[in-house]
Amino acid sequence: MKPVILLVAALAGLAGCKREASPKSVATATNQSYAARGVVQAVAPNLRTATIHHQAIPGYMMEMTMDFPLQNTNELSGILPGDEITFTLVVGENDDWIQNLHRVGRPAEPVSNRGSMLHAMIPELKPGDRLPDYELLGEDGKRMRFSDFHGRALVFTFFFTRCPLPDYCPRMNKNFAETQKLLAGKGGAPTNWQLLCISFDPEFDQPEMLRNYAGIYRGTHTDRWWFAAVATNILADMAPRLDLMIMHEGSTISHNLRTVVLDPDGIIFRQFDGNDWTPQQLADALAQAARKSTNP
Amino acid sequence: MTRKNKRPQPRNDVKIFLVIATALSALVAVGSWLAASSGSRREPAPGWLPTKVRTLGEFALTDEAGRTVTRAELNGKIVVVSFLFTSCSLTCPEVTKRMAQIQQLTATNPDVRLLSLTVDPRSDTPLVLARWGARFGADTNRWHFLTGAKPMLYGLIGTSFLAQDCGDPFNSMPGNFIGTERIAVVDSHGRTRQYFDGLRDETPAAVAAEIAQLRREP
Repeated sequence: MKPVILLVAALAGLAGCKREASPKSVATATNQSYAARGVVQAVAPNLRTATIHHQAIPGYMMEMTMDFPLQNTNELSGILPGDEITFTLVVGENDDWIQNLHRVGRPAEPVSNRGSMLHAMIPELKPGDRLPDYELLGEDGKRMRFSDFHGRALVFTFFFTRCPLPDYCPRMNKNFAETQKLLAGKGGAPTNWQLLCISFDPEFDQPEMLRNYAGIYRGTHTDRWWFAAVATNILADMAPRLDLMIMHEGSTISHNLRTVVLDPDGIIFRQFDGNDWTPQQLADALAQAARKSTNP
Repeated sequence: MTRKNKRPQPRNDVKIFLVIATALSALVAVGSWLAASSGSRREPAPGWLPTKVRTLGEFALTDEAGRTVTRAELNGKIVVVSFLFTSCSLTCPEVTKRMAQIQQLTATNPDVRLLSLTVDPRSDTPLVLARWGARFGADTNRWHFLTGAKPMLYGLIGTSFLAQDCGDPFNSMPGNFIGTERIAVVDSHGRTRQYFDGLRDETPAAVAAEIAQLRREP
């Protein structure tokens, strides 16, 4: 049925066009031919119709996108959507079609139909899921893993030391500093908690750079707040799982903010998106996560 | 954009010529901008066509005011579409700035709507998008900033506007879409007609010219 619909649509489209041809061309029994040029938008699977965005066809119709039927379907072999073609539009008394198709150009941008295949993607983690035990490079220059912090509730966020935006990395680090104060100064609060800031700019943020940067926010107390960097190949797996988005733009890096609380077993307890959260909320989440008993 | 600078060249002083030429170029640029904004004829738009047929798909998303916006609301409208995530510090403000210029250039066209689709819906809540829109002077009666479930957003972008590739995930906007800096124009029949480079200064005038042309179509 589809070809019929397409054909009807094509004819309906034709009828709706501004026909500037003189009435005698309708009266005459012979077919009228018009040289035309356009870009193929789509080709019907049965090769009987091509959708073409054509330039104005002088004396017949203005520039538009239309479905055109073909009499000889072989004419479409080797022609792909995106190709620029010249063709002849033949208008008879009762029907019309295109012929003499010649490809004259092909777009530089590849036509991608891989589309959704790609985003049969790495699934996002949600609270209750276990974070894979990724490897990081610590501020002391040693390799480390998330599991090094098992037994403590862990909150981690992402940053890079060159980050120029006060609402982003500096704000995260100020919030962490405040959270640390809230937890440390609270009598009766759990003591098994840990803060971790992870740079996604590992080439620039070498251990020494991380230590210097950390000092601004943390001072010299390294026991509860650690800095590290993540290698790009590991980040490529981790970022989609955490919905962390990073885009290198010129000399800077645009990124969203993801702050994740793990319980003492490494299970995601809570995720904070963006920067609309308070140190008190984070401290409360950490304290709650810390109270979750570890599975033996 | 052709520069119609027909002034005869002073032969003796190249520096003076350069100063005059620069001034005239600026005048011509401003002039063609004004000409385009007043709807008169101009050079063909420097846009380009989709490489396959794309139409505005069905969707139900949430705007910056928390209101549900569906495809049906845009039936019969010419729609100008851009892509963003508010954490993006260079590209997205530039593209949004040009969307704001398009908003101004089409202010008298009630049949034109603007859409900006986030690729980071967990961060870009209605509140965050409302702040972003306010920063660029968005008229929220005509310009909607849409967020929602990621599969629906990515599905709409992938179906109606942009291809995806498997390139470096950290060198393009999230979602691996190709050309997120583009501004797309959808005609009143829901067909994606042209793309424009959202990082080019000529784009707002070119989009306005394309819209003027679409409005003349039967």
